[in-house]
This record gives sequence, structure tokens and C-alpha cells, in this order.
Amino acid sequence: MTHLPYIAAAYGLTVGLAVLLGTSAALRLRRARARLAAVERPARATRTNAP
Amino acid sequence: MGENETVLNATPSLAARTGNFLHRYANPGRFLRLGARLQPWLTWPAIVLSVAGIVWGLFLSPADWQQGDSVRIMYVHVPAAWLASSGYMGLAVCSLLSLVWRHPLADLAAVEIGPVGASVTAICLATGSLWGKPMWGTWWVWDARLTSVLVLFFLYLGHIALIRAFDEPQRGYRAAAILGLAGAVDLPIIKFSVQWWNTLHQPDSITLTAAPTMSTAMLWPLLVCTLGFTLGFAAILVARLRAAVMESRVRTALAMRRADPHDATREPDREPDRDLGGAVA
Amino acid sequence: MTRKSRRLWLVGGCLVGLGTATALTLSAFSSNIVFFMAPSQVHAHPPAADRTIRLGGMVVAGSVRQSKTGDTPVNQFDVTDGQDAVTVRYEGILPDLFREGQSVVAVGSLQADGAFRASEVLAKHDETYMPKEVAEALRRSGKWDPRYGKPPDAASWNSMAASGTGPDKAAPQHGS
Repeated sequence: MTHLPYIAAAYGLTVGLAVLLGTSAALRLRRARARLAAVERPARATRTNAP
Repeated sequence: MGENETVLNATPSLAARTGNFLHRYANPGRFLRLGARLQPWLTWPAIVLSVAGIVWGLFLSPADWQQGDSVRIMYVHVPAAWLASSGYMGLAVCSLLSLVWRHPLADLAAVEIGPVGASVTAICLATGSLWGKPMWGTWWVWDARLTSVLVLFFLYLGHIALIRAFDEPQRGYRAAAILGLAGAVDLPIIKFSVQWWNTLHQPDSITLTAAPTMSTAMLWPLLVCTLGFTLGFAAILVARLRAAVMESRVRTALAMRRADPHDATREPDREPDRDLGGAVA
Repeated sequence: MTRKSRRLWLVGGCLVGLGTATALTLSAFSSNIVFFMAPSQVHAHPPAADRTIRLGGMVVAGSVRQSKTGDTPVNQFDVTDGQDAVTVRYEGILPDLFREGQSVVAVGSLQADGAFRASEVLAKHDETYMPKEVAEALRRSGKWDPRYGKPPDAASWNSMAASGTGPDKAAPQHGS
């Protein structure tokens, strides 16, 4: 393959940044979902348990 | 939402009608349900198509008669360039929704588009540079196409900074929306720069008005890559926006709890600033 | 008029104003935004002898002369825009894409004798992408010579190349 270093750098950069953006978004979503569940559970429990 | 508007005329104005339509989709709960259902349909096709397109472009497509294998950089450069412009288009639409209709979801979307759009613009600039060095003989020239894309990158950076610059988020949303909308004048300049002025950058190979000036053996992997990357961009945005909506719900719930631990149904901003500092991390 | 309508008109008005201002600015500075000058422009408005300009155009087929002084190659070639031509002299290694018929941009200044002394030569490729085999087939068919112009439409490559790859190579006539 001609110009291999340039091609490898271009693809490496693109794939690397895409994976970084994708995993950071997935992790953030997971954390947010867990925190929301943790916050909402006691609130709902107090509401339903209240006489 | 927050403002009371008395509609004096019997037929609602264009702005009001559009507003009614928009606010059906402004409900964050509705967005969370829609987003959760949409997410797998974006994520998995994005991964499959991107991997297929990259393998196709890198190993299965032919080399160019004069550029040799370096033409393969096109399969990542062109989708990145397309997403840089369309991402900013999305940002401009969010800015309009924010300025005119005070659409709450548009503000959150604008916050999330910024970093993703800046990343693809950076990819576009970097891969272009890596392509220019072996082909043109230079990493960078100040021609109209390259310069206008660099301006786009700085518009993204400015938007990212501005929307986070204020203690009161609403002021950041307004200011950034003005920047986002004003910056949209750069989009036609990018598009037509290669036609209006002579540039080192070649004109577009794929246009709406003419047949592509490209062999179909190269066109197909390019289209697959473009579709895959676009779905990936959308998947990342939807995931980030869902996370942002959930985070804001967590903040609201915590604020309620702190305002009165025994009554979760009370208004959230009774005592807005007391000890929210730690919760809004 | 509701508040939303007022905001919509206000934003629309601002955008129209901004767009007009940008368009006027761009058209006013149009000659400065241009990345290079064509040979006919250089002849119509010759720049000062010491001013660095960029000259762009196509390398005239058959005009390339290459020699060597010591280790550095010395190149001389004509650049044309179809109406006019300027002779370019350049000491140094030309980019890979340089060839007769290729578009190039030369950075340098116009000498007193009308020749252009370049300090840098950039190759400008066009928007056509085609596999090596197709280019070979087109050249064999005799319908396209890369030294004399742009390749034909991508849609016609198959039929044109097919007429050249047949057993009889000297039969470009029976192409449609």
C-alpha cells in the first residue's frame, strides 16, 4: 500500500476518536440511569407508603 | 411553557402553531421513551455499517490511478466533512428553536451537539491534512475551503465555551444560540467555496445536480461509510441527550429533597441556592 | 402579534441582515480570497516583480524540461489556463502528482523576463476518482489522454473502456 503512514494515521485517528466518543456516551448514559433510579426509588417509596 | 401568552387573533400565528407542534416533542419524558426505543436502531446499524465501510474502503476498493492508495483517506475524510456541516446545521436549528420558542430540549441538544460536532470537524481537518501532504505536497494552505472549515471548528469551540460560561444556564443558552445561528452563514461559504473562488481543494465529486465523478467501486464504500458514520453521530447524540435529560431530573429530584426532605411533591425551587452546589456536579 | 411571532421575525430579520453583510463583504474581498491567479489574469494585471503570488493552471504537455545542478533538480514547464501560458522555473523536488496535464499551483514571483520563479509547487488534483485499470483501459481506447484534459464522464467509462480492451486494440471507431 502506498502512503501507508498517512492512511494508517487518518484511520487510526478517526476510529480512535469515534470509539472514545461512543464509549464515553454509553458510560455517561449508564451512570445517569443508575443515579436517576437511585434518586427516584426512595421518593416513590415514601409517596406510596404515606397513609 | 413558563410564559402566559394571550392569543388575540382567532387564527393562531405561524409561530404559535409551530410552537404547539414543537412542544408535543419538548416533553422530556416523551423524549426519554422515544430515545430508549430508537437507540438500538441507531447504534447497531452504525457499528455494522461503519466497520463494513472501513474494511471495504481500506482493503477491497481499488486504488486511484494517480493518487494510489492515499485515496482511501477519502472514506473517512468525506463523511467527517459532511457530518461537520450537518452537525452545525443541527446546532443552528436548535438555536432557532431555543431563541424563538424557548424549547427546553433544544437547549440540552445544543449543549450536547457542540463537543461531538467539534470532534468530527477536528477529524475532517486532520485527515484532510494527512491527505494533503502526500498529494498536494503541503499539510495546509489558506485557501477558501480549508479556511472556512477551520472557522467552523472555531465556531464549535466558541459555542462549547459560551454555553457553559454562565452560572445561570438560561443566559448561556441564549448567548450560545445567537452565536450558533449567526455562525450558520459559514455553511454556504464552506459548500460553495470551491465554486466561487479558485482553491487548491478540488470541487465536490458528489453533488445533487450532476452524476458523481467517481468510479462506482469507490462510490459504494464511500456511501456505506457516510451512512454508518451518520448513524453513529446520531446514536452518540441521542445517548448523550438521554443522559443529559436524566441528569437534569436527578438534579431536580435532589433539589426537591433538600428543600424539604419529607415532601417530594413540593415545588423544586423554593430554596434554590442553599446547598445545591454539591449536587450539581 | 404574540411574543413568539415577534421573536421569530426579529431573528429572521437579524439573519437576513447578517447574511447580506457577509455576502457583501465576501464579494468585496473576492479577489483576495482567490487562492491563485491564472496565467491570463497575471498577464492582464501583472503583479509587482518582488511580490509573491500564487500562479495556478495546467502543465502544458511537452513543455516540461528537467535538468540537474549538483543534487537539486531544476524544472521548467509552462502553465496554462487555456488562454495564456506562463513559463515556470522551479528548483527542487516536484510533488508525486506532478505530471503533464495536471493542475498545479506555483508559489513565487514574476521575473523581469516574464518567467515565473517558483519557491514551491503544489499539485492540485481534480474531483475525478478512478481505478488504475479503468484509466489504463481509457488510455488504450484512445479516447482520453491525461496530458490533454480532464477524463470523460464516469457514466461513460464502462462503454468507452470496453471498446479498448477488445482483441483489436486499434479499433476505437466502433465505440458508440
